[in-house]
Amino acid sequence: MNHAQLDELERVEMDDGFVWRPVRRRFDIRGFGVNAYTTRAAGEQVVESHTEEQLGHEELYVVLRGRARFTIGADERELGPGELVFVRDPQLRRGAVALTDDAAVLAVGGKPGEPYEVSAWEAMFAAVPAARAERWDEAIRIHEEALAERPDHPALLYNLACMEARGGRHLDALLHLKRAIELDPKWADRARRDSDFAAIRDEPGFPG
Amino acid sequence: MSGYEILSLDELGPYASENHGDALLIPIRSRLGLRAFGANAWTAEPGKTIVPPHEEDSGNEELYVVVRGRASFTVGDEPLDAPAGTLVHVPPGVHRTAVAEEPRTIVLAVGGTPGQPFAAHGWDDVVVAFAEARAGRVEQGRAVMRALAERSPEDAWEAPYNLACFEARFGDPELAWDHLRRAFARATEELREFARNDSDLASLHDDPRWQELVG
Repeated sequence: MNHAQLDELERVEMDDGFVWRPVRRRFDIRGFGVNAYTTRAAGEQVVESHTEEQLGHEELYVVLRGRARFTIGADERELGPGELVFVRDPQLRRGAVALTDDAAVLAVGGKPGEPYEVSAWEAMFAAVPAARAERWDEAIRIHEEALAERPDHPALLYNLACMEARGGRHLDALLHLKRAIELDPKWADRARRDSDFAAIRDEPGFPG
Repeated sequence: MSGYEILSLDELGPYASENHGDALLIPIRSRLGLRAFGANAWTAEPGKTIVPPHEEDSGNEELYVVVRGRASFTVGDEPLDAPAGTLVHVPPGVHRTAVAEEPRTIVLAVGGTPGQPFAAHGWDDVVVAFAEARAGRVEQGRAVMRALAERSPEDAWEAPYNLACFEARFGDPELAWDHLRRAFARATEELREFARNDSDLASLHDDPRWQELVG
């Protein structure tokens, strides 16, 4: 049987203070998106402040333990175990700050009327511990696995190029950055300002 | 309908079901109108079934999350003691059930079929509608059934059949006949056999139209 306790799930600390607990990846769920979130400490984020404008997902958040202050649009509400938030409007900004150290929230998401597709951000989050420890080969492998399913995803290609540039694979980095920019030109401007590309900025193929 | 809802699981239910034993349904999907994935919760007292025994004929893979209390799961032949915070993933063809071990235990069930857009079959709407009617709130129950019929495929017999059962038991027998005629216009011989043994339709048996329609 495939099962886990919330605290046994991998723990990926993100910069805003929330801790991503990858549920979907743990069970290789393909029918819907699902993740859990805990926090570094009370007072920090437990759910990242974000909208679902890009993915068009509706989302259900269920507080599993502890307490958190949710902000949905202009509404603020303190919630505890067994309370839930359903956000059907992808444009509404949503997030939550932990009020207790043990706060844990389950998040479920998907786009109405469409088969579930694994979100690209999951690979980027999953690569954070490897990138932080400068284990570039591992960070690159996580991106390549995601790109095998979504070969033309500009943000994944851009992030892969960042990892490759930091890991000394300069030619691969230039090729993947070029492809990301072909698919979505907005990445060119970002690349010019991105310190991840310091080592390849003077290469002839780098976007001018 | 606003862009979001904030509620507690205890406010959303529970509803007793005639088809799910002692397990009480907290109908998240039906009450909130989820469209991208299925999500419902179940609650039960110690020793009672909290996840009704079943396999997922729908093709849904399911994730169960123990939100409160404790439950004993059996998935395939394997037992699992599952305190709050346990997550259990079950592929569609695998038999699963669980019994509550602590007071007011709640298990959340989330489901969806890989590669397919989510489609709600409405069994949870039927549980809610029948429970409302049993509690004397026939109009509320009828509204749930009608909303289900409106979003059901035109050629499906399930929605008119369930509406016929609802009206035969709690509402207007003439409406029951209208719905039953529509159900049988789309049905197979198996449904006729099923209808003959369905106690929900017992109040229609003595009407001459029963023989004519069901046989």
